[in-house]
Amino acid sequence: MTLLSVENLHVTFDTEAGVVEAVRGVSFALGRERLGIVGESGSGKTQTGRAVLRLIRPPGRIRADRMVFDGQDLMAAGERDMRALRGRRIAMVMQDPKYSLNPVMRVGHQLMEGLRQRDGLSRRDAHAKAVEALAAVQIRDPARVMEAWPHELSGGMGQRVMIAMMLIPNPDLLIADEPTSALDVTVQAEVLSILDNLVRTRGMGLIFISHDLRLVARFCDRVLVMFKGRIVEELPARNLMQAQHPYTRGLLDCLPRIGGPRTPLPALDRTADWAR
Amino acid sequence: MSTLTDWLRDPSPASRRQARLGQAYLSWLRLKNNRLAVIGLGIVLALVIVAIFAPVLAPHDPITQDLRARLLPPLTAGHPLGTDDFGRDILSRLIVGSRITLYIILLVAVTAPVFGLLVGTVAGYFGGWIDEVLMRITDIFLAFPKLILALALVAVMGPGIINAVLAIAVTSWPPYARVARAETLTVRSSDYIAAVRLQGAGAVRIIWGHIMPMCLPSVIIRVTLDMAGVILIAAGLGFLGLGVQPPMPEWGAMISAGRKYLFEQWWVATMPGLAIFTVSLGFNLLGDGLRDVLDPRNSGK
Amino acid sequence: MALIEIDDLSVTFAARHREVQAVRNVSLAVDARESFGLVGESGSGKSTILRAICGLAPISGGTIRIAGQPVPTRRGPGFSRRVQMVFQDPYASLHPRHTIDRTLSEPLAIHGLPDTDARVVRALTDVGLPPAFRFRFPHQLSGGQRQRVAIARALMLEPEILLLDEPTSALDASVQAETLNLLNRLRAERGLTFLMVSHDLAVIDHMCDRILVMQHGAAVEELPREALAKAQMKTDYARSLFAASADRLLGA
Ligand SMILES: Nc1ncnc2c1ncn2[C@@H]1O[C@H](COP(=O)(O)OP(=O)(O)O)[C@@H](O)[C@H]1O
Ligand SMILES: Nc1ncnc2c1ncn2[C@@H]1O[C@H](COP(=O)(O)OP(=O)(O)O)[C@@H](O)[C@H]1O
Ligand SMILES: [Mg+2]
Ligand SMILES: [Mg+2]
Repeated sequence: MTLLSVENLHVTFDTEAGVVEAVRGVSFALGRERLGIVGESGSGKTQTGRAVLRLIRPPGRIRADRMVFDGQDLMAAGERDMRALRGRRIAMVMQDPKYSLNPVMRVGHQLMEGLRQRDGLSRRDAHAKAVEALAAVQIRDPARVMEAWPHELSGGMGQRVMIAMMLIPNPDLLIADEPTSALDVTVQAEVLSILDNLVRTRGMGLIFISHDLRLVARFCDRVLVMFKGRIVEELPARNLMQAQHPYTRGLLDCLPRIGGPRTPLPALDRTADWAR
Repeated sequence: MSTLTDWLRDPSPASRRQARLGQAYLSWLRLKNNRLAVIGLGIVLALVIVAIFAPVLAPHDPITQDLRARLLPPLTAGHPLGTDDFGRDILSRLIVGSRITLYIILLVAVTAPVFGLLVGTVAGYFGGWIDEVLMRITDIFLAFPKLILALALVAVMGPGIINAVLAIAVTSWPPYARVARAETLTVRSSDYIAAVRLQGAGAVRIIWGHIMPMCLPSVIIRVTLDMAGVILIAAGLGFLGLGVQPPMPEWGAMISAGRKYLFEQWWVATMPGLAIFTVSLGFNLLGDGLRDVLDPRNSGK
Repeated sequence: MALIEIDDLSVTFAARHREVQAVRNVSLAVDARESFGLVGESGSGKSTILRAICGLAPISGGTIRIAGQPVPTRRGPGFSRRVQMVFQDPYASLHPRHTIDRTLSEPLAIHGLPDTDARVVRALTDVGLPPAFRFRFPHQLSGGQRQRVAIARALMLEPEILLLDEPTSALDASVQAETLNLLNRLRAERGLTFLMVSHDLAVIDHMCDRILVMQHGAAVEELPREALAKAQMKTDYARSLFAASADRLLGA
């Protein structure tokens, strides 16, 4: 069953230096599965994710032949309908928890705010639900974290709190924009397994945005490889290491490996035909 | 024309000068898109032009009295803004008075911010007891209301335009020191300062060449926004008879002289009031626009 | 005799309410022309060690010697010409209001070296940037280009020791490869000694001859490169880092 389908999505920015085409003609469909989007920085991954939520601020503009979420036409929806969708049915975890949590509000308060206003829960119920959500992302001492200020959390904790916050309304689709890039490898693995577990048990759709091919290969079902705003290759994640496109190959080959040879790393050839 | 703009927008400038002019051009483009800021800039430029050409522009002598033409209302032939209680043309007095206003603004603008910038960057860069001492002194100055302190200073030094400027400058540097210090504290621990320290640069080079350029935008913005206040304090001193002395056509002193007639001959006090209002507004609008253009946080891309 | 010798180094920051001991009794020695790596999770004190060498962190115990001489308290011009550093974030390590030209000529001006123009152009070409970039501002460059400028700046004074603080962790994989190749080439050409920090074991393995694993400010284990490839580590922590390393994840 298709949860989200996007056809010929364009995102453009009119700037002083001229028109920047951040996303040019991206099409994909997503069921209740884990879809990875990889590519170098600036390839348009974040803008694609934000465009689905129509979260592109002027001077940015979105254009698409079709963008449908669960039968609802996102291009035709009004700002009001979008607001009802955002957070509740489609949630997005931003790259850096530092900028996504309100620095002058305790973590618990932020978690409960939505529950109390949107769902009209009582203080007690909201508190209980927030604690439950923190426990679901494997935070060991949820009561303490509820009382903490955002700056008191480590990167890994902050990212988990963000995930918990996004998962409280039980969305159908989660868009995670580099949710682990700021974390240490050991913490990264933990956060990923939490996400993985949640997707499985709740049957959510997940768009996982990352620049790390190896991470995406391990963690997703299907992968889109983006370059300069276009999808250059789409393939099952387990085949990523055998990718054919020279860009994907280049990204894979230029990574150093433990115990690999000391010869210069193969650099990506940006002068080839595919790079136009 | 288009070759000039191409040269200015060249992403790979061939000389320091081209790089600097190119940056200035981009700032100008950004400022130009802000309509309110352009209005503010227009007002400020108008003030400058009027002040420069005041003797040519003024239809009458601003000082010579003509008691037969006392208190003529606006739109009288030959006196578009009317005359004051000594029969002097108000328009001419406003035009010539713009020189005094500009003079005060310029003198304050080259003294207080420079001093404040110096105190703030030095305090912020060195920290420790130097910071303590300098900031306590700043606090002492900040503790007094500006006008009261200026009044006290003028009372001690005696009335007059230079003393008024000095008093205003002495009372207005502390906020610049605070702004510069705050900026310095964030800049000083940055990697690019660490890098230049590691290359063996001394404190003077770091403060002058690396920290001050980062503090300058916030200070310039603050200065433009404060200019309205400076004009008002100068006018206040003039109003109280402690600033520019009669018969010089200072705007504040003109309001003061007109207040006796406020109900019957409203224009005597209102016209200089409007002039002060317009110029203050101009500086405020410009300051707001400059905030968008100069603030390093906005000029990333 | 090793070129860099660190004995029992401790660094303590006086934070607002309590003291933070960022480095505890770490010792290491790096030979001339060797490339030495520091790995560990973030907050383990890797950057602090590099900063302590440069006099940018408060040393609370132990000694640092360069070529047998204890480093002077005020590092001084002699030190600058011997030791330079490349920082992690190329977006934060270049002055946003200085052109590349100014950034590169500043060290020459400080030390009163002649031929500024020729040296700046040569420095740019050495790190693979076109001389046309000379009068650009940092925001007109990509992350990889900025890091090349930062490397060029560190080499302006022709130092023998380069301290590299995660020089590629802010860069894309493809740009990382180019930067690592550049660093290796420069090391070979100029006989540089590297002390390099990274959280990525694969990068450290590619670049370094010996590796020190750190955790919570303390040294956990020192390994030669060969032992890393064969997974011959003695401590559990080093093994868990190895197991979580990205290119291991796929190994299975
Ligand atoms: N506000 C903006 N104005 C102009 N260009 C923008 C803006 N936001 C993003 N872009 C451009 O869009 C492109 C794609 O950005 P993004 O989706 O954030 O890349 P990614 O997430 O893959 O790193 C980049 O080239 C960037 O320069
Ligand atoms: N200026 C400072 N003031 C207080 N604590 C600091 C300062 N710099 C670093 N620290 C602390 O020192 C520890 C080590 O930091 P760092 O050396 O940057 O770690 P790494 O580079 O390994 O990620 C951290 O716990 C950090 O919070
Ligand atoms: Mg992104
Ligand atoms: Mg570090």
